[in-house]
Amino acid sequence: MSRSSLAMGLMFISPCLVGLLVFMLYPVAASFYFSFCDYMIFESPKFIGLDNYGELVHDPLFWTSLYNTLYYTVIAVPGGMLFAFLLALILNMRGRGMALYRTIFFLPSIIPIVASSVLWIWILNPQYGLVNMLLIRLGIPNPPGWLSDPAWSKPALILMSLWGVGGTLVIYLAALQDIPTQLYEAAELDGAHAWHKIRHITIPTASPVLFFTLIMGLITSLQYFSQAYVMTSGGPGNSTRFFAFYLFDNAFQYFRMGYASAMAWILFLVIVLLTFFVFRFTGKYVHYAGR
Amino acid sequence: MFHMLKHALSYGRPCSPILTFLGELCDDHGMILMRVPCSGGLWAAVFFMAVMSGCGGSGEDPLVVDVWHPYEMEVGDELVAALEKFEEIHPGLDVRTLFASNNLSSSQKLFLSIAGGVPPDVTFVDGPQVAEWACLGAIEPLDDYIAAAGIQEEDFWEPCWKQNIFDGRVYGLTINADPNFGFFWNKEAFREVGLDPQKPPETFEQMDRMAKQLTSVRDGRLESAGIIPWMIYGKANSLFTWGWAFGGKFFDDENNRVTADHPRVVSALEWMLSYAEQYDIRRISSLATGFGSAEQNPFFTGKIAMQPMIVYTLREIERYRPELEFGVTELPQPSGGVRNSSWVGGWCLAIPKGAKNPDDAFKVIQWLCTSPEGTTRIARALGTMPGYRKSPYLDKAGKDPRMKALIGILENSKNQRPVMPAQAYYMGELERAVDAALYGTKTPGEALRDASARTQEQLDRILARYDERQARRQVANP
Repeated sequence: MSRSSLAMGLMFISPCLVGLLVFMLYPVAASFYFSFCDYMIFESPKFIGLDNYGELVHDPLFWTSLYNTLYYTVIAVPGGMLFAFLLALILNMRGRGMALYRTIFFLPSIIPIVASSVLWIWILNPQYGLVNMLLIRLGIPNPPGWLSDPAWSKPALILMSLWGVGGTLVIYLAALQDIPTQLYEAAELDGAHAWHKIRHITIPTASPVLFFTLIMGLITSLQYFSQAYVMTSGGPGNSTRFFAFYLFDNAFQYFRMGYASAMAWILFLVIVLLTFFVFRFTGKYVHYAGR
Repeated sequence: MFHMLKHALSYGRPCSPILTFLGELCDDHGMILMRVPCSGGLWAAVFFMAVMSGCGGSGEDPLVVDVWHPYEMEVGDELVAALEKFEEIHPGLDVRTLFASNNLSSSQKLFLSIAGGVPPDVTFVDGPQVAEWACLGAIEPLDDYIAAAGIQEEDFWEPCWKQNIFDGRVYGLTINADPNFGFFWNKEAFREVGLDPQKPPETFEQMDRMAKQLTSVRDGRLESAGIIPWMIYGKANSLFTWGWAFGGKFFDDENNRVTADHPRVVSALEWMLSYAEQYDIRRISSLATGFGSAEQNPFFTGKIAMQPMIVYTLREIERYRPELEFGVTELPQPSGGVRNSSWVGGWCLAIPKGAKNPDDAFKVIQWLCTSPEGTTRIARALGTMPGYRKSPYLDKAGKDPRMKALIGILENSKNQRPVMPAQAYYMGELERAVDAALYGTKTPGEALRDASARTQEQLDRILARYDERQARRQVANP
């Protein structure tokens, strides 16, 4: 390739390159620098070394928000995967109107977060909500207060997250349909039952997809924000003050951009570490057909 | 559309580097661009736009005044109508309004516009935030304009004037005053449980006793409550209200000390906690999840019988529950506490740093905040009262007995939320302290001590940065 055509090529992709540099790389680099600064937006940042990080360690809300976020992630991600996988197994069966059912289960995931959050405020209403009406019918006299009870607010949000597994569900369905049927036929000839087939064929063959959704789920859950912002504003009793929420508070409510940047980098480290451990300890169970 | 683009591009001055860049592209690669007609057209359009945007242009119209306000729907429409009236009186000026949500937690749009050098000329500021924004350098001092216009301190309610002062300078004018709060009681509910509907509580003992009578429980669930002490426009505002009633102090102006752990504030929080314990916070929260604003306001729907509320509520009741029988009076007094303990809230107008047209901006501010016509229209539009005590609106509105009660509260109000530059932070901390105490994770004393200490740290940090900046400025312009 001649130099001039290289230049020409670069020029043609320049909007993308410039966008990436200006709107991604620069902010990322700037936030790293700001995390070592006292920076309140209208004046130039002042370098203060590791003070922000030092303060974070002693900030009880930082630890609360980290705990809340990990609590949510550890339950919602595997829970969501299990739920989506079971649904996918059911929706992968042959039957009349299956396309309709698939659509129904997928639909919630395309509803805007704010709209679905407001809807769930009502579904979870302790006195008039659908969930508690159902629980009372089932003979539970004192159903949980959900969003109004610090002990139940995170489970409530996790419950709600299961409703939105449509995206994952579609990925799993695609994976299930990709499994060669002769594997199942061969297994049946050898006398395998349904559970054997799932355990030894379906799960191993779908494992790269499960692994992918696990990693992506981790990354998005650790940044959990919008639903808590809309539904609980962090309460009751800080029980839903998630990490990204507290970061937002510091950045845009208290204008402590440096402090918020430090939080963002810690979150980044947490994500990197968790992803690393997941790769390290579950990676060996992932089966790649091509290898 | 074109005008907007022109406007947008012209902010990026000097624009010559853009032009040079485009010109070079055309010179070097003209062939290529011609071979791709579509993108050639695009480049030409961009080029044309850049030329039109004003290297040879006249710059922006000096007579435009951009006003950003936080009011949606009817209130916003009425504000716009008031400003149209202003335009009629000032034919040379073109006032442009834009809704930009702006409260304790959402001023991002405004702040980014100021940081980016493209702010509006006039912005609304919530009263307790003026000092904070002034300290951050987000708004400009107005002293010269105020002196030139002959506006006097005593023209405004005392708290309404004081809230705009930071470091000896005035940074805003109060556009509306909100006596916090009128004590609203539901006469129907009083009658139903055998209380005298004409006698609201005057002391806390009476209020506690009535609250008990007015609370109804069915199947272990709360059906309605007498009063929920922490649901007065958020937990922080609730604590301010009761804290002052108990005789507490939240801030020591002289020494810049945060005093949320003042013993009387602690007593107030202990009193609030007694409701959480007596009626079970979880049951109350359960009841409260069904609360909302406007037609779902729990006072309108009969779920709460006694509730401190703002002036605007009168208008809402008129609209959503006109048949509701209710009264408005002043807050009850706790034993050992203070009478007439109410405080004043409300919004101010200010000129953001870097505003293009500050002179005309002040004309708008002056008209809205101090002219007979402007103050009257705004009071009507916002459903509140003028911060300007000479406004003729007060005489007119005072003919209504409930309004009269509220004006009385306004006249007697001595308190206001601390005028200091960590106010939003303070409110966040108080919010969490009340939450922690109510849910039993901390004692009221502990919770308020922590809130005090953390706010003090933030305040000291902000003030230290401010002092540094002032010192640098003095070195630069001795």
